[in-house]
Amino acid sequence: MSDRVAVVGVGAVPPRPLSVDRSYRELGFESATRAYGDAGVTHQDIESFISVCEDFHEGTSITDEYTPDQLGAVLRPVHTIAGDGLQGVAAAVMLIRTGIADLVAVEAHCKTSNILTHEQVLAMALDPTYERALRVTPHFVAGMEMRRYLHETGSPEDAVAMVVVKNRRHALGNPVAAYGGILSPDDVLASATVCEPLRELEISPNSDGAVVLVLASEEAARRTPKPVWIRGVGWASGSPWLAGRSWGQASYAGVAAEMAYRMAGITQPDREIRFAEIDDTYAYKELQHLEAAQLAPRADVTRMVMEGDTRRDGRLPVNPSGGSLGMGYCFDATALYRTAEAVRQIRGEAGRAQVAQATTGLVVSWRGIPTQSGGALVLSAD
Amino acid sequence: MFKGLTNVAAARVWHGTMPVQYLYTAGVAGERFFQTLRRKGVFAVTTCAECQVTYLPPRLYCERCFADLSEAWAEVAPSGRVHTYTVVHEDQDGRPLDPPQVVAFVRIDGTSGGLIGRLLHLRPQDVQVEMPVDAVLAPPRRRRGSMDDIAGFAPRRVLPRRPTP
Repeated sequence: MSDRVAVVGVGAVPPRPLSVDRSYRELGFESATRAYGDAGVTHQDIESFISVCEDFHEGTSITDEYTPDQLGAVLRPVHTIAGDGLQGVAAAVMLIRTGIADLVAVEAHCKTSNILTHEQVLAMALDPTYERALRVTPHFVAGMEMRRYLHETGSPEDAVAMVVVKNRRHALGNPVAAYGGILSPDDVLASATVCEPLRELEISPNSDGAVVLVLASEEAARRTPKPVWIRGVGWASGSPWLAGRSWGQASYAGVAAEMAYRMAGITQPDREIRFAEIDDTYAYKELQHLEAAQLAPRADVTRMVMEGDTRRDGRLPVNPSGGSLGMGYCFDATALYRTAEAVRQIRGEAGRAQVAQATTGLVVSWRGIPTQSGGALVLSAD
Repeated sequence: MFKGLTNVAAARVWHGTMPVQYLYTAGVAGERFFQTLRRKGVFAVTTCAECQVTYLPPRLYCERCFADLSEAWAEVAPSGRVHTYTVVHEDQDGRPLDPPQVVAFVRIDGTSGGLIGRLLHLRPQDVQVEMPVDAVLAPPRRRRGSMDDIAGFAPRRVLPRRPTP
């Protein structure tokens, strides 16, 4: 039996700040229909289903019970990962490699416009004994991470602003991206400060969305039109305590990327990875994740971004889709949006966002504040 | 594909809340930390000699080598350095904070950990990473054994002397 696993189907609704007309289950149904059609399969062909969702994001307790019907998964094997989207992808890889299933669907969605007190949800994620007493916006965790990152690296705030400028510009080439725009670094630096040094435009805007991916064993993938191969997957969680984390580094992403590279047999990531879809929930995170994924040494990250190496036509395009800054931040679904965009790149279907010779791509995900959890995925055309 | 609504103004929503309540157990380590804070005005920590890690907040186990640290207690003065900080302009509900508040992670001297707290008695523009600070504690009789006993942290030079227990 082959150990290879491929992404054979991708379906998503365009992320939007509002989706007043449809429920999250209808968004999921549309994404599933698109993904199964893309793979040339029906819901009956899928042998196991994985959803990625969390009770407090849905406003429903035991919310995983609400995921089967819109996926065609009623009375079928289905389970939920309340974590990062790439942990859901990893679970699908495991189901396939253990021979339990040949075709697996992974779903994630977010209806953030329905969460009226979203900051309270994040605040409740902080340790109740030591960390919750401040009652300020939970973005403070990101503000402190960004400050320490800039302090340790000596990077100027312009480099963080340049990530926003680049990703918003990239989004103009992506027809489903809602936040395309031409900004200057000064525009970004002139936006309101939320948690200094973090500014409003450096925070990706919350969006509604839903994504379904279909993963297949090699044998099943050979029967589908457009397989993109998963060469490596990794994931890791750091200590949950704010006191125990590395404020200036995305150490979880470093471990996850190393795990994925080891599986993929990648020894020189900066040469072997052609492009990356990397978590940019906050603009500074893209810089931290570039370093953690060994795509640039710490001392070179700023220069790379400032000199345009990470632009779509640069040496190492990063977030050619626009990333979360350009497409919107979709909570639990963010990692699957990054993955879907990377698959489109490798298939050569990215249109005006297309990177030349996009044969090998890296996805890096992060579960968001206050977590230290994330994943990495190496995708390849063969 | 199903047909969408043609009049989104008619899109129906139901308002709801999740009125859940909890108790959070401080645990053996947390109990000792807060009792020590209340009685002595210092921080109780645990140390893994093997890994050379001193935990603050204290833990009964080492997260690296998994050693039992329940007999490895020590106490440290409530002083440290600003490891990182942010000037916060929004409260927990997203409303403007006026004046903005300076929140820091303070690496407590002699530990590998630290505490989150407000920086007091200084202007935001005067904060620097690695500046020394002391905890500002409630007077002994007012301390209840919770994080509220720590009003925040202030630059070391501003206080006449380190707050005595």
